[in-house]
Amino acid sequence: MEDFRVGLVLSGGGAKGAYHVGILKALCELGARVDAIAGASIGALNGAILASAPTLEEGVDRIEELWEILAESSPLSFKMPNYLEFLMVAGLHLNGLNYINGLILSAQAVYGSKLPEWLLQWLKVSEGLSSGLLSDTPLKRLMDRYLDVDALGSGLPLYVSVFRSRGALLDLLSCLIGELGFMDPPDSEFLHIQLLPQHERRDALLASAAIPLLFSPKFVNNTPYTDGGQGGWSKMQGNTPITPLLRAGYKTIIVTHLSDGSLWSRQDFPEATVLEIRPQTLISRHGVTPDLLGFDAKKIPSWIQQGYDDTMHCVGRVMKASAARCELRVSEGAVAKSQQPFGRLDQELDSAMKRLMKTK
Amino acid sequence: MVLVHKKKIMEHQFENSSNTEIFDVLAFIPEKFVVDFANGIDVVRDHVRVQKNRTGYFSRLYDGFSGQAASRQSEINASLADGVEGALTWLTELTNSLAKSNFALAKVNERVALIYSAVTSLADYSTDTRNRLADLSTSLNARVDQLSSEIERVAFEQRAERQLDYVFNKWAAGRFDTFSYAGRGYSALEELRWGVFGDFCRDRNGTRVCSEFLDDLTNRVIRQLVIDKRVNQAVLRAPVDEWIDLPSGINCIPDATEALAYIGDWSEPEQFPFVFTVSQQPHALPLAVPRLWSAERLAEALVSEVFERE
Repeated sequence: MEDFRVGLVLSGGGAKGAYHVGILKALCELGARVDAIAGASIGALNGAILASAPTLEEGVDRIEELWEILAESSPLSFKMPNYLEFLMVAGLHLNGLNYINGLILSAQAVYGSKLPEWLLQWLKVSEGLSSGLLSDTPLKRLMDRYLDVDALGSGLPLYVSVFRSRGALLDLLSCLIGELGFMDPPDSEFLHIQLLPQHERRDALLASAAIPLLFSPKFVNNTPYTDGGQGGWSKMQGNTPITPLLRAGYKTIIVTHLSDGSLWSRQDFPEATVLEIRPQTLISRHGVTPDLLGFDAKKIPSWIQQGYDDTMHCVGRVMKASAARCELRVSEGAVAKSQQPFGRLDQELDSAMKRLMKTK
Repeated sequence: MVLVHKKKIMEHQFENSSNTEIFDVLAFIPEKFVVDFANGIDVVRDHVRVQKNRTGYFSRLYDGFSGQAASRQSEINASLADGVEGALTWLTELTNSLAKSNFALAKVNERVALIYSAVTSLADYSTDTRNRLADLSTSLNARVDQLSSEIERVAFEQRAERQLDYVFNKWAAGRFDTFSYAGRGYSALEELRWGVFGDFCRDRNGTRVCSEFLDDLTNRVIRQLVIDKRVNQAVLRAPVDEWIDLPSGINCIPDATEALAYIGDWSEPEQFPFVFTVSQQPHALPLAVPRLWSAERLAEALVSEVFERE
């Protein structure tokens, strides 16, 4: 049954990673088998928690617990973007706070209250983070426990997508050019976490989620890496990392998306049997940046529910179709088998009737 | 994807099926074209949903400029093409399967027709057999009734014969010697008439057997009268008195005359003159009675009057 191993791709999408929770819960309920995981950005972190858990069910419970705590009101006096909180408790450190604050303050001086609310909140975030308020929270403690790089060594194979950084501004610029369709940034690279030295595993995970500018690149094997979602921008090559699973020989792959109408194409992987879990209703809540950073923690439960519903819908459709085909085959077999005794019975009936007619 | 829970559901559905091996191997390995076909619908819906929301001027301009509109449309087209191809594959397989089912159904119909024919033959056979059995039963019953009647008749006849033998043996043994010669004959005839012999004659009155019995009876009476009277010929006549006079001797019963009269009190002189004369012993003989009797004449007259009186 080695050829029927199942890979799971967890795409990146910032705070919409809560959608993964619903997906995983549904897959667990459906009894799905997962043999390897590939993730980008938040997908890498969720995937790491999942891969390091002793069982799939336990992993799903852990991720759910983390996201539920994240969804609760922040212990801080300000409204912290939950994705940033997630990343920072995971181990990333915000980069250039003063630089960002300066930009926001300048913008505020020019536009005043016309600036979006979430941007104005940033000043409070910056202030809070400077005082180290995130260093000891329930979320931090849970993250330290569940993001267990030691357990990862014996866990499910985990591949993470990372982007070889050429400098934060250049990285962002190349993504912008890719978005406009001129030229794609270079492809992301994929790291097999279990093959890395233990001391580099956590950095590799964090590198996959390190948003350029906000976070410094992480060095793995002396190479600076940032958010893996940047590579192969137009086709989501880095953000939906199916490639490492295909290279590892996985032919049946569940691919999850965290954006509406993702342009990642299953047509590019004709050798694989791909089951995509795509949002069936709008996954965006407030726009790209707020959704990415997760300024509204109240949206987390709705993303979890949406992920669950969409998985039940997408997988259920395939299951029904497969089951119908299976029943058809079984019924064909049953019909064929039911005909077997008739060869003998036909002869016996014929013989009996002939004898009867003779005596008539 | 291997979906364990579905396996459980389907195993439950088909728990009586002997094809569980098929489930183990095939049921939970979705074929690529099935996944592409079913999942492609959701992919297309996702793209179409986004496409519908990108109808604003700048959105259209941006999507066209960046090439995302073309990419999305291309993706929709590819998924639809996959879907159509998958549908064709599925439809082909389904059609093949349906053809197999139809052939199987045709085979079943053939067999049902065969069984109909066999059952019809069996029903005919059964009906014929039943009718034959009914005929046989009727025939056997009739035969048994016939045999039973025959046995009854023979038994009846034998009992009558036995009584005949019994009475004449009794007469031959001298048990009627207390009566006159004619009285002995009359007594013997009355005993026979009231016994099985009489029943037989009444039952078979007018038949050849009855006629033969009465002839035999007459012959026996003649023979015994000839013996008792010690005459040489049955036709030899003697005066009436010789026939009806009582014998004398110590063996004679004193009341024999009265007993004979009592038995024959039914006789009228005009209708039954011989019985009247023998039983009542009148002083004057009835006119119809001759004065000379032979054994033959007496026997024929007594048998005729005793057995034809009803």
